[in-house]
Amino acid sequence: MKRLVSKRLVSTFALAVAMTAAGMTAASAGGPTSEDLLKSATTTDSVLTYGMGPQAQRFSPLTDLNPDTVKKLVPVWSFSFGGEKQRGQEAQPIIYDGTIYVTGSYSRLYAVDARTGHKKWQYDHRLPDGIMPCCDVVNRGAAILGDKIYFATLDARLVALNRETGKVIWNKKLAEYKEGASNTAAPMIVDGKIITGNSGGEFGVVGMVEARDAETGELIWQRPTVEGNMGTLKGKDSTVTGTLNASWPGDLYKTGGGATWLGGTYDPETKSLFFGTGNPAPWNSHLRPGDNLYTASTLAINPDNGEIKWHYQTTPHDGWDFDGVNEFVSFDLKKDGKIIKAGGKADRNGFFYVIDRTTGKLINASPFVSKITWAKEIDLKTGRPVYNDDNRPGAPAEGEAHGAKGKSVFAAPAFLGAKNWMPMAYNPQTDLFYVPANEWGMDIWNEAITYKKGAAYLGAGFTIKPLYDDYIGALRAIDPKTGKIVWEYKNPAPLWGGVLTTAGNLVFTGTPEGFLKAFEAKTGKEVWKFQTGSGVVGSPVTWTMDGEQYVAVVSGWGGAVPLWGGDVAKLVKDINQGGSLWVFKLPKA
Amino acid sequence: MTGLWTNGAIAARGAVVGLALSAGAALAAPPDPANPPDPLGSVMWEALRDQYFAGAPVQFDDRVKVRAPLDAEDTRAVPIAVDATALDQVVEVAAIADLNPFPLVLRYHPMGAAPYIATRIKIQQATAVHGAARTADGVWHVSGVMVDAAGGGCSAPPLSYATKDWADHVGEVQARVWRTDEGKAARLRLRIRHPNDTGLVPGIPAYFVESLSVRARLDGGVSGPELARIDSLEPVSEDPVFLLDLRPPPGTTALILRGRDNQGGEISATVPLPALIPAPDLSRSVGQ
Repeated sequence: MKRLVSKRLVSTFALAVAMTAAGMTAASAGGPTSEDLLKSATTTDSVLTYGMGPQAQRFSPLTDLNPDTVKKLVPVWSFSFGGEKQRGQEAQPIIYDGTIYVTGSYSRLYAVDARTGHKKWQYDHRLPDGIMPCCDVVNRGAAILGDKIYFATLDARLVALNRETGKVIWNKKLAEYKEGASNTAAPMIVDGKIITGNSGGEFGVVGMVEARDAETGELIWQRPTVEGNMGTLKGKDSTVTGTLNASWPGDLYKTGGGATWLGGTYDPETKSLFFGTGNPAPWNSHLRPGDNLYTASTLAINPDNGEIKWHYQTTPHDGWDFDGVNEFVSFDLKKDGKIIKAGGKADRNGFFYVIDRTTGKLINASPFVSKITWAKEIDLKTGRPVYNDDNRPGAPAEGEAHGAKGKSVFAAPAFLGAKNWMPMAYNPQTDLFYVPANEWGMDIWNEAITYKKGAAYLGAGFTIKPLYDDYIGALRAIDPKTGKIVWEYKNPAPLWGGVLTTAGNLVFTGTPEGFLKAFEAKTGKEVWKFQTGSGVVGSPVTWTMDGEQYVAVVSGWGGAVPLWGGDVAKLVKDINQGGSLWVFKLPKA
Repeated sequence: MTGLWTNGAIAARGAVVGLALSAGAALAAPPDPANPPDPLGSVMWEALRDQYFAGAPVQFDDRVKVRAPLDAEDTRAVPIAVDATALDQVVEVAAIADLNPFPLVLRYHPMGAAPYIATRIKIQQATAVHGAARTADGVWHVSGVMVDAAGGGCSAPPLSYATKDWADHVGEVQARVWRTDEGKAARLRLRIRHPNDTGLVPGIPAYFVESLSVRARLDGGVSGPELARIDSLEPVSEDPVFLLDLRPPPGTTALILRGRDNQGGEISATVPLPALIPAPDLSRSVGQ
C-alpha cells in the first residue's frame, strides 16, 4: 500500500514537471529500461547512470538551486557505511523511485530510502585475502536496469542483485584477481549489454573492454586494448586489435597494460562507446620502443560487436605513467557558427583535448595545468605531442652496473596526473568544462624489471612533489572552443572528487578537507559549502523528489593520494577516514 | 573472546529464567489443542512456530526422530539428523536450533528421497533442536532433543581462514554414494568446501551455501527428475556435510548436484551412481 502511494506521488510529480519544465520521469513498475538509460541525462527525478547520462556530462537541467537559493541548501540525513572498513569512498549514487543505490569501499553495496535515510538492504561482498587493488579499495558506483542493480568488485567479479531485495541473482568472474586484476569502476549498460573495463595495469594485465548480456551475465564480446591481442565475439575469436608488433617489440604486447580501469562513456548519437586506456607496462619506456598502441589512448568502440571504430593516442610511448583512462565526454562544440559532434578529455598528461567524436581527429589541445615538462605542445596537424626528449627518464644502466637506476628527471605533471580518475563536468549552458586538476610534479627514474604474474610490473621509482606552497588542487573552467581557462578555484589539498554542474548556474565538487562546495558556474565564485566530517572524493548528484531539489554525495577520505602521494601524503595524513552518504535538499518555500 | 563468553553466559542465564516462566505459564493456562506446548519447554518455541510454520497445524509426534549428541563437543560442528521415515507422504522437513541467533537450520524437500536428512550445525549455546516434517495434509509433525553446549559456535570464525588459499577451494564438492535397499535407494553423502559464515563475526560478511538441488541423470545423459532440494542457512557448519537417502528412478546413471551460495557462487558436481554393490550400514555413523 505504501508503495502504491509513493508511486502515485512520483507520477503526479512527473506530470507537474512535464507541464512546467522539460523533465521526464523514468519510474515504472518494471524498473528502468535501456531506453530510460539513454535518456537519463534529461530525467530529473532520477539518476540512472554513472555520469548522469550516457555521455557523462554530469549536467542536470534543474534550476531550483542556483547561486541565490543555494544558501538554503541543508542536510536532510546522513547514512553511515558502517563496519570497521572505511578507506576511500569514490562512489556516485544511483537514484531511482525513491531509493539511493550507493557503493562503498571494500566492495559493498547499499540500498537506502532517499526520503528517510533508512537502509533497505546491504550487500557485503566476501573478498578473498589475496586481492591486489593498486590504489585503494574503492568502488565508483553501480548500474541499474529493470529489476537489477549491478556492481563490480575488487576480486574482479560482476555481481547482479535484485534491486528490491538485495539478493544476488548472478555473480560472474571478470578476470583473475590472483594475477593482479581488480575492478573499481561503475559498469555501463547500453542496449541490454553490461559493459565493463578492467584494472590491474600496474601488474601487467592487458586492458580489456567486455560486454555481457545484462539479463544473464553471459559474455558477448571482448576487446583487448593492446595491439596484437585477439578479441572475441559470441564465444569465438573475432579480430586482432590493431596490427601485431606494429608498435610493440616481441612479446611485450602480451603484458602490455592499457587497463580500462575507469570504465567508459557512451554517445547515443554516434552509437560509440568511448574507453580510455591506461599506461603501457612496464613503466620503463626504454623496454618497449614504439607508440605502444592502444595504451594511453581513447578508443571508440562499436557496442554491438566490440570492433574499434577509431583511436586517439594522447601519450604515444608513455614513460611517465600518463595513463589515458580519463573519461571522454561527448558534447556539441559550437564553433564558427557550426555545431561539431565533439568530445572533451582532460588527460592525465596535462593537456585538454577536443576531438571529433565521429572520426577521432584532433580539433584542439591545450594545457590545463601550469607546468608540463614532458612535451612542448600537441601538434594540431599530426595530433602528436612534441616531446621534450630530455624529460624522458633514462634507461637503467647496462653491463657492469646492470640494475642501477637510470637518469632521474623532474617531470610534471606527476604520475598521479594533472587529472586522475575524478570525473569532470560539462555545462551546455555556459559551454564550459569544469575540470578537477592537480598541480604537482615528480622525480622519476627507471629500474631493471622482469615480468612475474601477479607482481607489480613498474620498472620505475618515483616520488611526487607539490609545485606550489599554497595549493595543489585547482578546479578549472575550460572553454573548449579556445582551450582558455575562464576561472579557477585553488584548493590546498589535491582534488580527488567528481564534479556536477547544473542549469542553475552551479558547479559542485568535494575537497579532501571535507567540504562539499558550490560555485557559480559562470564566474567560479564560491557560494556554498558544507563540512561532511571526512574527505570528499566521490561524485555529487542532484535530482528532484516531492517537488524539492536534492543533492547527494559520499564522504570518506582515501584513494590513491594517501597511498602514492610521496611528499603530498604528508599534507593529507591528518585527514580522518570516514564512510557515509550525505543527502541535502532545498526545502520548499 | 572474553566478550563472547560474557554474552553467552548472560544469554544462558536468561534462557534458564525464561524456561521457568514458560513452564509456569503452561501450568496456569488450559492447554490449547491447536497449539500444544513444546514437550522440551523451549522458551523460543511459540515464536519460532509462528515464524516458520505460518499458522499451519502443528503436532508433537514421536514418529519424527531427531538425533543429536546430548552434549556438543565442538559447537561449530554438531551432528544432527531428522528422520521422518516413519510418516507417510512427507513433503518437507525442517530443522531448528531454537536458541541460535539464526534458529532455522534448513528446509529439505525430498521429492524423490526419503524424508531423512543429516548434517552438522553450529550451536551458539545449550538449546533445544527441533525437527519437523510436513505431510501432504499440511500438518507439521514435530519432535526434538536438548543439546547441551558451551557458547560461541555461531560467532567464531571458520577454521579454514587459517589457510591463505581458502578462497581457492570454495565450492569444491566431495561426494560418495552407496546403493541401499537392494539397489532401489541411493545414500548420498556430500561435503562442500565453504566457510559458511553467519555474518556475526566482526568484519566478515554473511557468506553461506543457500541452495542445493540433486537431480537424476538417466541413461544416455538425459536429465531426470529433481530428487531433493535443500534450502540451507547460516547455522549449517563450515564445509557443510549432508547425508540424504535418495530414490532415483530406474536407469539413473549419475546424480547431478547444483547449488549456490548467497553471493551467487555456484556449486556443481556430478556423482556417478555405481552399479549394485553391498552397502555399508551407516545408521550408526550418521553425521560423524
